[in-house]
Amino acid sequence: MSHERYPSMDPVKEPHSVSLKVLRLSRPSLVAQHTLAAPSELQSTTGAAPDDLVPASLAYRSTAGTNPDPFLLTPILNLPPSFGSAYVGETFSCTLCANQDIPPEPPATAQTPARGQSQKKSIRDVKIEAEMKTPGSASVQKLLLGPHGDDGTPAATTEATGAAADAAGAGGVDLEPGQTLQKIVNFDLKEEGNHVLAVTVSYYEATETSGRTRTFRKLYQFVCKGSLIVRTKVGPLPYNTATTRKVPKLAEDDENKQLRQKRRWIMEAQLENCSEDAMQLERVVLNLETGLRYRDANWIVSESPRPVLHPGEVEQVCFVVEEDGKGSAVVEDSDGRVVFGVLGIGWRTEMGNRGFLSTGKLGARNTR
Amino acid sequence: MVHIADIFEWLAARPRSSTKGPLDADEPPPLKSPVIAQVAARGLSPQVRPGPGGSRSNSPAFRSSSPFRAGSPFRSSSPFARSPNRASTPSGIVPVTERDFSHLLRPEIFHQLSPLSIPPPFRNTTKQPTPETPIAELLAHGQFRAAAIASVQALTSSPVSATIAAAHPPVDPSDYARVFSLFYIRLACLCLIDSMPLAAQEAKALEDLNQAYYLDPITGAHLMPWELRLLAIRLQTIGFGDPRRAIMSYYDMAREVHLQIGKAAKAHDNTELELWKRRLVELGIKVGGALIEMEDLAGAAAHMATLRDTAQDGKLATAKALLWLHLGDVDAASRCVRDGKGGPVGEKVVLALVDMANGHFEDGLKKWTELKAELEENGIQDEMVGVNLAVCLLYLGRMQEGRQILEGLIDDGQSSRTLLFNLSTMYELCTDRAKALKARLADRVSNLEPTSHGWEKTNADFKL
Repeated sequence: MSHERYPSMDPVKEPHSVSLKVLRLSRPSLVAQHTLAAPSELQSTTGAAPDDLVPASLAYRSTAGTNPDPFLLTPILNLPPSFGSAYVGETFSCTLCANQDIPPEPPATAQTPARGQSQKKSIRDVKIEAEMKTPGSASVQKLLLGPHGDDGTPAATTEATGAAADAAGAGGVDLEPGQTLQKIVNFDLKEEGNHVLAVTVSYYEATETSGRTRTFRKLYQFVCKGSLIVRTKVGPLPYNTATTRKVPKLAEDDENKQLRQKRRWIMEAQLENCSEDAMQLERVVLNLETGLRYRDANWIVSESPRPVLHPGEVEQVCFVVEEDGKGSAVVEDSDGRVVFGVLGIGWRTEMGNRGFLSTGKLGARNTR
Repeated sequence: MVHIADIFEWLAARPRSSTKGPLDADEPPPLKSPVIAQVAARGLSPQVRPGPGGSRSNSPAFRSSSPFRAGSPFRSSSPFARSPNRASTPSGIVPVTERDFSHLLRPEIFHQLSPLSIPPPFRNTTKQPTPETPIAELLAHGQFRAAAIASVQALTSSPVSATIAAAHPPVDPSDYARVFSLFYIRLACLCLIDSMPLAAQEAKALEDLNQAYYLDPITGAHLMPWELRLLAIRLQTIGFGDPRRAIMSYYDMAREVHLQIGKAAKAHDNTELELWKRRLVELGIKVGGALIEMEDLAGAAAHMATLRDTAQDGKLATAKALLWLHLGDVDAASRCVRDGKGGPVGEKVVLALVDMANGHFEDGLKKWTELKAELEENGIQDEMVGVNLAVCLLYLGRMQEGRQILEGLIDDGQSSRTLLFNLSTMYELCTDRAKALKARLADRVSNLEPTSHGWEKTNADFKL
């Protein structure tokens, strides 16, 4: 995270007995290896066969044959080395660690006679709270603290889940020296711009004679960038001429009338990867209003592999939207514009990291 | 007027035919017809010889004509025109035994290696080798920094004392076999001690790897050992900042290998035949790696799909699956290893990774735990399973358990970069005073016996 500030909230000037450490939990990454053949000098001394690999050039040791050498990628996982970039549509995950971190007592000397014993502190009731400040809203959103690792669990944004967070955080934890209280927060990034993750740690610091509650707060600021630019275009398609030709004009029954009047549009969208990483489109779907249905005309229909968009690349997708002819009226806004619904785009990046965006309401001008 | 049929036709996406290229071993020497290798990859065109500026072709597919075919349209522009089996013997060329390679022995080629990047526990120990230790012994004990220094002393004839001179005798500039062997040790050891940027600079001194000076004028054979050529290609790719160079050079070498396979088959030399076939397979895999490094993941996936699994040991299937995971396609990754294609262990590894990629860390944890127990039961050690189990635990908010597992691996004598990095990261999360923990870890690792798996570590390995 780009920035970190320490606003003082604690009147006590002593160092805190609890430290807070954070790590953004992007997906762990596969470690690369560059295998090297054993030098001929080594072949003569150790009896290595020609082109045997130097064991030290492998990413890890195994007698199970799990290393796909001489391939570049290996299955061993590295924790995220840095914060990286945060993109709209992704879920921001972060682990928060509150550690009992009282410095070890210096060995008793003549100048400082054994004062350690009498002032031994115990740390009780350690609690972590986290909030997110997004660029678009004036207030902060309280975050639900996990362990609830799976992506299926939504990040807490509503009041109800906020209360759940309170309930979860209500029971503080006592920490022995060197112990850690670890929590995980997830937050769906929906806006571009500056985000601030505010983490508050509170605990009760007890000595044998007294005790006090102490609190500190750390702010972590990061910038969320756009990942995908979506441009859409809607054009009318002619009525289904085949149907109209078959039906004699004078013998129109209700059904045929409906068939003939079914309106159709073609909706195209250009999806541009404006992030710095390659992404693979997983699904692109329309969530339509009532009275409409659509046909996908993309990679699933043509049985092509899912498109991979390298940074700066564009994928064009296309749908045929039509009235479903079931009688329910399509939604039109005050200008007579037919409202389709929204376009949802799901993608995956390195190691399966997920992203999902949906557009605003799309529609077509009334062509009647 | 737009018809749906038209749209579908327009959408009929880039056909990906099954292809054969110079990397396929079973290809008969294609004297009759040109072999078309189509890699549906963006901007991948090894036939275009990239100059220093890099020629950026965006053609969606490239055609690779066989080098063996007379009158190949690419011949004039192909770098292969200068590679061994094409090289005509210029009249008056110096015989191999009299060739002077002193231009590779200039001291200014080689960089000083600073011991400051080594944590103190590794510097101040009796495990550090003496300067007189022979290079072969240094290599066998994983003393790669010392071997890198010793090889330069021999190359540049700059030993600091008579005893060292006896241990690393200066090289004769016309003894090309020893020059290249020492050069390879130098470059390889730099890579092993995490000094690849230095190696990339030093590899530039080899200049054009296909120049006639490196070829035997009579047999056309390359004088450099195979491993040096492979390494030099990658390092020069980095040194000159031109990622295409590697792919092009690997294809050149593949053509050469075809010739060797043909020769070995004719001579009924099975050992040679197997060696060259293995090298061909390795080249194919290296091309995949080079494409990943230039971040053309789609191109890499398309290329890997063209490789044939000759060994059937699950390695290639696992490699493909890992590439799909790297790209984010978990479904494709699972498909690569299912039905036993990835081998019994390979499949389990990939499926556990798939769980983690899907964010299902509980499921992943279960798979890693089972796999670890299963392997231990059979007396098999696998560092990766332990490390990944620990990583999984951290994502579940159980870092303390993960830390214990990683420390247990250190106790078992494991010390891969990834293990040290992940454990150091956990130390950073555990306390404000992580430096002391990392220093203690460095101390513990320095007490491990030096083996061919490597011993000395750098400060960066401990995030110090």
